[in-house]
Amino acid sequence: MYSFEIESPTSVADAVAALGKEEAQALGGGQTLIPSLKARLAAPSVLVSLKNIDEIKGVSINGDTVTIGGGTTHATVAAEVGSAYPALADLAVNIGDPAVRNRGTIGGSLANNDPSACYPAAALASGATIVTNTREIAADDYFEGMFTTALEEGEIVTAVKFPVPEAAAYIKFEQPASRFALVGVFVAKYADGVRVAVTGASEDGVFRWSEAESALSSNFGADALDGLSLSGDGMISDLHGSGDYRAHLIAVLTKRAVKAAA
Amino acid sequence: MGQLGARAGLYDAATVRVNATGSISVMVGAHSHGQGHETAFPQVVAEMLGIDESMIDIVHGDTSKIPFGMGTYGSRSLAVCGSAMVRATEKIINKAKKIAGHLLEASDADIELKDGQFTVAGTDKSVAWGDVTLAAYVPHNYPLEDIEPGLEETAFYDPANFTYPSGAYACELELDPETGRVTIERFAAADDFGNVVNPMIVEGQVHGGLAQGIGQALLESCVYDENGQLLSASYMDYAMPRAEDVPFYQVDHSCATPCTHNPLGVKGCGEAGAIGSPPAVVNAVIDALHSGGYTQVDHIDMPVSPHRVWKAMQG
Ligand SMILES: Cc1cc2nc3c(=O)[nH]c(=O)nc-3n(C[C@H](O)[C@H](O)[C@H](O)COP(=O)(O)OP(=O)(O)OC[C@H]3O[C@@H](n4cnc5c(N)ncnc54)[C@H](O)[C@@H]3O)c2cc1C
Repeated sequence: MYSFEIESPTSVADAVAALGKEEAQALGGGQTLIPSLKARLAAPSVLVSLKNIDEIKGVSINGDTVTIGGGTTHATVAAEVGSAYPALADLAVNIGDPAVRNRGTIGGSLANNDPSACYPAAALASGATIVTNTREIAADDYFEGMFTTALEEGEIVTAVKFPVPEAAAYIKFEQPASRFALVGVFVAKYADGVRVAVTGASEDGVFRWSEAESALSSNFGADALDGLSLSGDGMISDLHGSGDYRAHLIAVLTKRAVKAAA
Repeated sequence: MGQLGARAGLYDAATVRVNATGSISVMVGAHSHGQGHETAFPQVVAEMLGIDESMIDIVHGDTSKIPFGMGTYGSRSLAVCGSAMVRATEKIINKAKKIAGHLLEASDADIELKDGQFTVAGTDKSVAWGDVTLAAYVPHNYPLEDIEPGLEETAFYDPANFTYPSGAYACELELDPETGRVTIERFAAADDFGNVVNPMIVEGQVHGGLAQGIGQALLESCVYDENGQLLSASYMDYAMPRAEDVPFYQVDHSCATPCTHNPLGVKGCGEAGAIGSPPAVVNAVIDALHSGGYTQVDHIDMPVSPHRVWKAMQG
């Protein structure tokens, strides 16, 4: 790890100002950033901790929308979202281990956009809105590929708004070592149609499986997916599984998610 | 081994130093790094002398204090080093009986040692362990013409043969044919380790070995790319077995056929779990595939990852 300064502002405005400094970077729960500092893969000169900013923490449930502050930990989401959006709480409670869940934040996860992370699938399948200090970004416009998002430099995820679906489920098939998603599929059914988002699989990061969405929108049952498959081209191939295996898993897990949601 | 001058697996050594108070330090050549020598070794000496285990201290790992030994490997610590400790303790008993015979004015051939008391056979004349050890170091009433003061003995034990534990392992697992994921439901391990000194430690050794073997069978792997770069370089990619990957084990040691050639009748137990479990797991995977109709699969490389199982099912 290289040396760095650390600032702990208590408001978004102060954090934005601090992030204006040269080579400054936001620090959420540090569950991704600190290991990469340790491995000297990143060397910011200033870390701006978001931990003490109360205005970006917490869960509020309002009619058909669950709003989660960008600095809210996975543990809080797991504990507080269950009544309104059980599939989302279920996703959160299966991220990492208690230490990771008590530090890691939804804002950090979405800003990082790891191709194997869980929250990107939830946000995309829910058609969530990512709220920042400057604007609101629709999930469909937010994820731009592995580790890339629409966020500008210094932009802070202050909240995520999830429309509550009629039915939903997330099925994660764990990579045996990291327990991130080798493949994860989030299915969410809304009045105007079904959305299916896939994480862990594509070289372009999280994506929507549109064929499955249209099949499920007319018949929300696992049998609607019979015969649907994806090609292994463009899928991640690594020591834990080939692209073809991941493509196969997507079809299997999507059916399981539909069964779990129905 | 032959070139090192050994018959089988090399010797080991132990020094038993009895202090004036009757407490004992045993300096052993085998190192303990979690196997519990500090617990099992005193049990052996305590039982031979009929004194409390808490009076016995095991010293290991410091080459400035211990006799030259060969160390811990190949499930040998109790069978080889423990046997050296038995031999040294036998020498202690022989000498202590001579001292006791002197104190009791009887022939040492008539002295019996039981429950920490030296008794003249067939009489109620006796002297306690601690009185004999004190006499050894404060020898004002002592056969100084016949034996030296002090009570400390060393033995080197060179085993005539290896020990041959045997066992039978059974693994029951479920295989998800859609994903290739294997889940172990039950695992039974029955071993004949000969005489068992400490059943809890032996069970622990087997449990650890099973976890290691299951890890090897299903999870652990060092993977390099074509340029020689290690890909499984952190626990994000190197899959260690965790509690949820292993079942509650059923272990059994009720069949105990003593080893015929060491004084304790013990056999090695440290490696059994890790040796028996990988073939049991992999054979169970093959059996599951066969009963699921995938009869063309007769071999699958470890670790049996979900991806490998799925690929084997594709033919
Ligand atoms: C052992 C382990 C297991 C894990 N398992 C899983 C898993 O199964 N599924 C899963 O999805 N994740 C998993 N994670 C990742 C975990 O969810 C992280 O918490 C998350 O990816 C990053 O969140 P963070 O708050 O820790 O962010 P940090 O590590 O602090 O930051 C990550 C990045 O986001 C930026 N950032 C942080 N907060 C904000 C914000 N509010 N606005 C803008 N940018 C921000 C930082 O500058 C940095 O670039 C695991 C992590 C570990 C260590």
